[in-house]
Amino acid sequence: MNRLSQLALSDEGFVFDPQTGDSFQVSETGMAVLRALKEGRSDEETAQQLVADFEVSLEEARRDCTDFRGQLKNFGLA
Amino acid sequence: MKDLAIGVSGINAVDNPGPGVGVARSLKEAEDLNARIIGLAYDAMEPGIYMDWVVDRSFIMPYPSGDGAAYFDRLAFIRDQQGLDVLIPNLDAELPLYLKRVGELKDMGIATFLPSMEQFKLRGKDKLAEVAERMDIKLPKTKVCTSLDQLIAAVDELGLPVMVKGSFYKAYAAYTTTQAVSHFHALVAEWGYPVIVQSIVSGEELNVIGVGDGAGGSLGIVGIKKISVTALGKIWTGVTIKHRPMLDAANRFIRELKWRGPFELECIVKGDDVYLIEINPRFPAWVYFATGVGVNLPARLVRHALGVDQPLAPDYEAGKLFVRYSYELVTDMVKFQQAVTRGEVG
Repeated sequence: MNRLSQLALSDEGFVFDPQTGDSFQVSETGMAVLRALKEGRSDEETAQQLVADFEVSLEEARRDCTDFRGQLKNFGLA
Repeated sequence: MKDLAIGVSGINAVDNPGPGVGVARSLKEAEDLNARIIGLAYDAMEPGIYMDWVVDRSFIMPYPSGDGAAYFDRLAFIRDQQGLDVLIPNLDAELPLYLKRVGELKDMGIATFLPSMEQFKLRGKDKLAEVAERMDIKLPKTKVCTSLDQLIAAVDELGLPVMVKGSFYKAYAAYTTTQAVSHFHALVAEWGYPVIVQSIVSGEELNVIGVGDGAGGSLGIVGIKKISVTALGKIWTGVTIKHRPMLDAANRFIRELKWRGPFELECIVKGDDVYLIEINPRFPAWVYFATGVGVNLPARLVRHALGVDQPLAPDYEAGKLFVRYSYELVTDMVKFQQAVTRGEVG
């Protein structure tokens, strides 16, 4: 099972990794991206979802998704 | 089940707490045991003596040194006076004596559930390589040193910084060879040879508590991460986790070594790599954490020691929080007086 799907994500944006005990706080946008990634959506689908939910251009949404995925990688979660 | 008189040591719930109060509290919560807790203390100031809602009666014990004759005489006295069905020793310093004379305890009608002497010796830091191999997990690069020359060669080979450790107790980080030499002398003076030099592995420090049934089966395990620790390195807050490779390694530890009794594994985890740092052949002071998440290991150990049937080990949830706190009680000076003059309270 991949690490992302195991993360517990609360409605307030509190993220708990049951494997390591680490916890994180994510913003509303981060929550939307994390939910999409947990559901197995592609970066492109996730970016389009961000465009639909927030006032943001597709280009900016793509960049945010890439940045977010990079951060997840740094934390060993993706 | 009839009322059980259960002896529990390590009731020194101080800033470097012993496991006894957590063990006693767990036993009290297992209603089927009807446990009457007999606290075995070494000092009249051990807080457990005064916690009468957890420890029913306490006795001051002689130190478990020498051949242990005085210690066993005291146990016989307690058994005759109070009954003593089961005994759970919780302090490292007691274990060698208990393991040497475990047969006598049985003859006295006192049940225990302890590792064998052979298993106990495996927890020595100079034996961890063998255990890690049998558990199929990693060990930080380790050198066992019995001379200063060997220490200096080990530091050169492993590269700084290193951990310098006594065979059973104490570990210090050394960032220079001079520091390593200083720690070496201090450890030899206090604990003797060998001294272990280990490279430092970076990663998450995770722990597992469990009880093995002595035949390769598990009576339960719980994995945790210490979120914050005291200046003495003792857990203050923690969270339950499910780090599968570490839990698998703990189950292999139980299975491959046929571990008998309680244990705590201290590990460092980096991704899926698990490094073994230490084995404690007893319950840790945070044993009540497992009880609080539904895995009452002291109660399960007692039932197993007495041959009482019980269901398979329950599972637990990841993400349960442990918070230690300080608290005070006020009682009569008479209790302290009884502990000092009579050596028993309750």
